[in-house]
Amino acid sequence: MLSYDIVVVGAGGAGMMAALAASEDPDLEVAVLSKIYPTRSHTGAAQGGINAALGNRDPSDSVEKHFRDTVKGSDFLADQDAVEFFTSRMPELIQELDFYGVPFSRDENGRVAQRPFGGASSPRTCYSADKTGHVILHTLYEQCLKRGVKFLHEWFLLSLAVEEGELDGLVALDMRSGAIHPIQAKAAVIATGGFGRIYWNRTTNALNMTGDGTAACFDAGIPLKDPEFVQFHPTGLASSGILMSEACRGEGGHLLNKEGERFMARYAPEKMELGPRDLVSRAIETEIKEGRGFGEGIGAYVQMDLRHLGKEKILERLPQVRALAMHFEGVDIIEEPVPIRPSCHYMMGGIHVVDYKTCRTPIEGILAAGECACISIHGANRLGGNSVADVVLFGKYAGLGAREIAKQRSLPSGKKVKKEADRWIKTFDRMRRKTEGIPVTEIRDKMAETMWNNVGIFRRESEMKEALETVGRLLEDYQDACIGDTSVRYNLAFVHYVEVGNLLKLAKAVALGALHRKESRGSHARADYPKRDDGRFLKHTLIYKKGDDYILQYEPVKITKYRPEERKY
Amino acid sequence: MDTVTLRIKRYDGVKEWYQEYQLPYEKGKTLLYSLTKIREELDPTLTFSAACRHAICGSCAVRVNGNAFLACKTSLDQLLETFETERLTLEPLNNFPVIRDLVVDWEPKLERMKAVRPWLIPSEDGDPSEGFRQSPEDFRKIASPTDCILCGICSSECGQLSLNQEGYLDPFILNKAYRFAVDSRDAAPEEHIRPALEKGLWKCLHCMECVTKCPKEIDLAGENAYLRQASIQMGERDNKGARHAYAFVEDVKSKGRLNEVTLPMKTEGFVSTMNRIPFALRLIRKGKINPLHMPREVEGIEGVRKIYEHAQGVKEP
Ligand SMILES: Cc1cc2nc3c(=O)[nH]c(=O)nc-3n(C[C@H](O)[C@H](O)[C@H](O)COP(=O)(O)OP(=O)(O)OC[C@H]3O[C@@H](n4cnc5c(N)ncnc54)[C@H](O)[C@@H]3O)c2cc1C
Ligand code: FES
Repeated sequence: MLSYDIVVVGAGGAGMMAALAASEDPDLEVAVLSKIYPTRSHTGAAQGGINAALGNRDPSDSVEKHFRDTVKGSDFLADQDAVEFFTSRMPELIQELDFYGVPFSRDENGRVAQRPFGGASSPRTCYSADKTGHVILHTLYEQCLKRGVKFLHEWFLLSLAVEEGELDGLVALDMRSGAIHPIQAKAAVIATGGFGRIYWNRTTNALNMTGDGTAACFDAGIPLKDPEFVQFHPTGLASSGILMSEACRGEGGHLLNKEGERFMARYAPEKMELGPRDLVSRAIETEIKEGRGFGEGIGAYVQMDLRHLGKEKILERLPQVRALAMHFEGVDIIEEPVPIRPSCHYMMGGIHVVDYKTCRTPIEGILAAGECACISIHGANRLGGNSVADVVLFGKYAGLGAREIAKQRSLPSGKKVKKEADRWIKTFDRMRRKTEGIPVTEIRDKMAETMWNNVGIFRRESEMKEALETVGRLLEDYQDACIGDTSVRYNLAFVHYVEVGNLLKLAKAVALGALHRKESRGSHARADYPKRDDGRFLKHTLIYKKGDDYILQYEPVKITKYRPEERKY
Repeated sequence: MDTVTLRIKRYDGVKEWYQEYQLPYEKGKTLLYSLTKIREELDPTLTFSAACRHAICGSCAVRVNGNAFLACKTSLDQLLETFETERLTLEPLNNFPVIRDLVVDWEPKLERMKAVRPWLIPSEDGDPSEGFRQSPEDFRKIASPTDCILCGICSSECGQLSLNQEGYLDPFILNKAYRFAVDSRDAAPEEHIRPALEKGLWKCLHCMECVTKCPKEIDLAGENAYLRQASIQMGERDNKGARHAYAFVEDVKSKGRLNEVTLPMKTEGFVSTMNRIPFALRLIRKGKINPLHMPREVEGIEGVRKIYEHAQGVKEP
């Protein structure tokens, strides 16, 4: 049986930072498995930047201000001890990334350049033009090559085996050969990214953001924390959902309705377009709902106007954004406003992390970092530029945490994981042979439709109940799904089947968490409970999965410094 | 036009075949949209890769009628118009091993990339807790080369690589070498340049296919020229490529034109050139070269020499 001291699942920003930190100890055998090549990971899509209170652009900025902004942005649901840990370590992490070779844009003094971002009281978002995530991802990959990190390319995590509250091992499919392997490990770092694909096409997320690691942890008995908090990015391209970076608003873009009005004046008179994402998304949807948008139904939109920035600034600071608008919406932002509408962007919730310093979960040997994890530093709403920061910082600490565990634990027996692998081998075999049933894509599209319509930007009880019912039915249909591909070699239809199964489990948790949170907070906006209710809901949702049953619990928020107050921008 | 036909090269690990799919024509769609439609509505076994769907992850490159494109960024209308057809042939990238259908194997390429030490060798001006200072001008030098998304289009299109898989490095690998060689934070540009030189840097055919096809419009040919110059400055003159370049420079300086008879001798040396005698004889027979012809100075040679003088006085860019 394959065995390693540490297995990192996922090779995005979080996974590779974890791998780098873990492999600093030459005595440990570390492997990284990823369903796509590391440089294809979704971290590469992050355009706008990464937050750290360096004070290069605004000397009055401070770690304290970053801390406060993040807590306020989270609508007071973030754990403040973790946020403080995070913001105080970010400046040094940027220097580390610079030392690794990340090509940051620079100010006239040669320091890392910073730009304003939504919800931030100082311009503290470090960037590299509008391809920040891309250059960080590639630089981390270069560092992994330098260190000789072992990658298992195109290996797909199927599940985790847990015995008596401890990790026994992982089961993975080597996509190229079609072989399913049990892997023994002392520690596993789960860094598999978000699951925006529960809304399938109405998301800025890549096609493969299906929450596989999150679902594997959920199945293994780790609760999901705060899954109902889903961030909708205000500026997705109207026709495809593809993201127009927050940098557009950061650099001074205007949002206009059909009357040509800068409608943000009604919702955030001070910050205007630079209000936080949840607020701007709801403002846009309200404009559309009240008939001040362009077009109708699912095709309705508002405009983002960047023309006044001028050609030079657009070419210098937003070249990729311009190319995206041109290729995917047919609009040159130098010449015309671009049609936009909110699109699901980010999952604040995820795998329940119990110790932010090591990223441990309740199960010994399993750690989680990156978008798949919920520490929680983003609470009910994440600030732009705080995710890539979260990913690299906690990726690193998860790697260190895994090292600690690997030193303490001996290799588990591997009995359970062997059995688990046998079960998957049978499933793969059965699915390849099955010739009739419901197409996986049909199940997936129905799930996305009900989630978008009923558990979207505005939520109400009756609709969420309907979504829960539909997802429940789809979970039954899933038992009769058919993949239509008999190949052992590189069977993407089977991979997609597993992905959709994961999405269904997670979609149900999102709807359930949302239904029971009878208040509006951050990204979670309920038409039937429009106010925040700190008395009843200043707490984290925890959803456990026991077989097919979902069990709901709550946990207090850690408040160290900032008492909840009304969140105004 | 009502339908579009995609003729796709299939491979299942054992056999290869072409399969045709007919799709209703829809305006304003991408090639990735069409591939997805086939997989989801006509044939779930059709295998291709894609992730970000907006030209940043580099997963989705394929060949259409022999030319490599990013499927997510390429409009179907444009393809139909360019090739003046309603029938397109799709194949996996050239110069890669194929895994299944349109999916290629990147592992050997990533292994090869290590040759140029594709990571920053940090100079003493920086340190892990302070980072570096870098001027905006120096940042600009690495802005474009770090746009590379490792999509493999340049490898697929590369003329030299198609002839010579082992003796040449893929353009994206040379781009990596360049990216670090010009980074003001790097302590040892020659560590990136020398391996490129040893792996056939001078063999580029100047077909420019990589430059015209690169979806990020990286000036790969200009970078190649830079690496060559830099290798000469490192003292690497005693190789065919550099000797060839010097022979050009000398010939043009002295006569204003090339001497095709002495050029190979200056480049390859006397002994190697002797091996080319059969080839030279064929050229003579066909009247392509005249061995007795010794080029005279061209008219206006003074002007040519002035250009040289001027160039000598110009500082490095
Ligand atoms: C379009 C877009 C723009 C964004 N812009 C910004 C921004 O400007 N600033 C910011 O802070 N945040 C931004 N974000 C958010 C941020 O990019 C992501 O949250 C973050 O990059 C996630 O990183 P990660 O390492 O957790 O996961 P990812 O980078 O998504 O990596 C996940 C990894 O897990 C692997 N994986 C997944 N499932 C499996 C499996 N079953 N088996 C094996 N491997 C698996 C994948 O192959 C991949 O390597 C943006 C997000 C989007 C969608
Ligand atoms: S799908 Fe990412 S580059 Fe095309």
